[in-house]
Amino acid sequence: MDFAFTKEQLMFKKEIIRFAKKEIVPRVQEYDLKEAFDFESFRKLGDFGILGLHFPEEYGGSGADVVTTVMAGEALGEAGVDGGLTLAYGAHSFLCADTILRHASEEQRKKYLPKLISGEWIGCMGLTEPDAGSDVASMKTIAEKKGDKYVLNGSKIFITNGPIADVSVVYAKTDPSQRHAGISAFIVEKGTKGFAAGAPLIKMGVRTSQTSELFFNNCEIPAENLLGKEGEGFNMSLQTVEWDRSALLAPFVGAARYMLSSCADYARKREQFGRPIGKFQAVKHKLANIRIFAEAAQSLAYKIAWCKDQGRPLNHLEAAVAKLFVGDWSMVPANDAMVVFGGYGFCHEYNMERIFRDSRLAPIGGGTSDIQKMIISKLI
Amino acid sequence: MNYDFSEKEFNLFIDIQEKVSRVAESVQLDRKDPKRSRENIKQVLEQLAQTPYLQLGLQPVEGYQGQLSLMGAAEVLAAVSPSAYLSVEASTRLFGRAVNEWGDNSQKAKWLSPLLEGQLIGALALSEETLNIENDPLTTKGDRQGESVVINGAKQYVINAPIADWIAVAGFCDDAYALFLIEKETPGLTVEPAIETLGYEGTPISRIHLDNCSIPAEQIIFPPAKAEMPQTLRMWENQMLLGASLGLSKTAFESARDHAKTHRSGGKPIIAYQEVGFKLADMLTLFQTSQLLAYRTAWTAETNPKEAGELLLCAKVFCAESAETVCSEALKILGGNGYIIGNNAERAYRCAKYVQIAGTSTEIGRVKIGDAALGYRD
Repeated sequence: MDFAFTKEQLMFKKEIIRFAKKEIVPRVQEYDLKEAFDFESFRKLGDFGILGLHFPEEYGGSGADVVTTVMAGEALGEAGVDGGLTLAYGAHSFLCADTILRHASEEQRKKYLPKLISGEWIGCMGLTEPDAGSDVASMKTIAEKKGDKYVLNGSKIFITNGPIADVSVVYAKTDPSQRHAGISAFIVEKGTKGFAAGAPLIKMGVRTSQTSELFFNNCEIPAENLLGKEGEGFNMSLQTVEWDRSALLAPFVGAARYMLSSCADYARKREQFGRPIGKFQAVKHKLANIRIFAEAAQSLAYKIAWCKDQGRPLNHLEAAVAKLFVGDWSMVPANDAMVVFGGYGFCHEYNMERIFRDSRLAPIGGGTSDIQKMIISKLI
Repeated sequence: MNYDFSEKEFNLFIDIQEKVSRVAESVQLDRKDPKRSRENIKQVLEQLAQTPYLQLGLQPVEGYQGQLSLMGAAEVLAAVSPSAYLSVEASTRLFGRAVNEWGDNSQKAKWLSPLLEGQLIGALALSEETLNIENDPLTTKGDRQGESVVINGAKQYVINAPIADWIAVAGFCDDAYALFLIEKETPGLTVEPAIETLGYEGTPISRIHLDNCSIPAEQIIFPPAKAEMPQTLRMWENQMLLGASLGLSKTAFESARDHAKTHRSGGKPIIAYQEVGFKLADMLTLFQTSQLLAYRTAWTAETNPKEAGELLLCAKVFCAESAETVCSEALKILGGNGYIIGNNAERAYRCAKYVQIAGTSTEIGRVKIGDAALGYRD
């Protein structure tokens, strides 16, 4: 065993934190209050190379390994970037662009990836439906082949980046008689006739990410927009789980480190009963809880990443454990951080209430904690 | 980066499990038995001496990663027998490590060699009888009288004291921290009978008194001042308790899982019920998270000891508290079977409280972690 990061990785993490603190974090509060997507910050992520970290250089990426890519997510959280932007980045780079990288034709890669990696275009993934959440095989969206086209009908819900996406990877049934084996994946471009996104949903947290329904009403797309072959869609969606259990968990680890430093700074300065509140054991205990979560969660996310770098098939048990832990436990530091800040913690200005709201997504998004428990209990 | 143990390490874990399980089949390692406890632990030590286990973390062993390999092996041993584990580790990784790190060559030859051969049982006496070393100085003192040193003091919660051949007693001598190595039955050394404990009944723990106990000067070890002896000894205790926590979680989880897969209710195994299956999922999550955190801590201690202190405290708090949670949930799954004395889960449940309060308690641990975050130092 060896848990060491390389010097280059550690330097890169510092650079990202420095970049994010200067270029992105000052805008976070404003956009969270507006519940608006920060296009400028997103483009800056592209300019800095974060959106395309693990993509091959020929498409504009950096060819980084998965561990380094996960580290970028942790660094963004540690800098204080909001969960909305990191979620948008995750949906864009890992759920949409990575699926195109793996399964699209070379022509399609060249068409989509450079613009997605630069941040010029925004991507999303349409999988979840009103009646098909964790039970993805029950999806009702249908793709019917007609000549050299597929015609899509149906709808999707809770689609991160849905209202702003230029490119969508959409899953639909090409064989409704089948369950998982009947699912296929398609690229659908914004502006395609019969394709529309709903209004952004008003959410408790991750408010700068834009989430909506997607509607397909006799939406015709070229047959070549099928990714891979018919019936391969479910496995493609499973491949995104590797990212979901590593890169998309990493910002929560980073957020804990951000909360720790914020709380420590505050507790050193805030005085009550004639001394800094950091001198009280109850406050120290809360800081400890935050640190313990960060240390415990860190290794889970990086282990999934390291296994992916080794080319190993995803260990679904370990992946579910990682998601369950980060999901269920991320509320502990978020709650403790709010308490350390007292009344100020309840106010937007001090960021803790935003992180508390953002953290609430962790046990819900990408497979609820109950679903993880279901997976684990079946696998053991 | 590499998240795998090597094949050699895995083989060692299997070997330890088999060897100690054989002993556990023939004797009650986890029952209080003052007449047999020394003999029992000697049997375990002799088995372990046939493997590299006792050397791990003390001496380089080709193909193994010191503290890291030790943590993996410790988990296995602590799962088979929590009591044997605690005795073996107190002897080897507290007493033995002190001799190894701070003793001179003749002291190592005298105590370390037989220890690693499984022929010597050691103990470390750190906690003062009336004082808490977190806030107060050690009061046990040795005064030189000619070629000898006369020691006075009293210690509590000394693991192995009733069965140890030698006890390393922490105190002061010549205005410096010192370890006095005292052989059993030395005049002036009184070892009380083992105290009654909630768990770890197979591990004899007792008070000792030192009343004008005279030892030759060559039986004193003076750690270098920079070693900060009390804090370092606490850190070693915490490392030992980390392995103990993993073992307790492992044995409790496995007991509950096996029961849930075989015990049927309503025509199906109880694991098929979400109330049970989900509980097991939570338990496994705590266990696997504890494992990774403990392994990373051990790796840090091996490769960059100066950076290991805060991480060790985080791991100690998390793994110890997780152990109690896992054990408690295991008892619920085991139902009435879990309440019967002698099964692995109830034994682990009783032991789990110890790993929270021994070493740096989880409460003090949190204070120290908080202090580190705040930049406050002692």
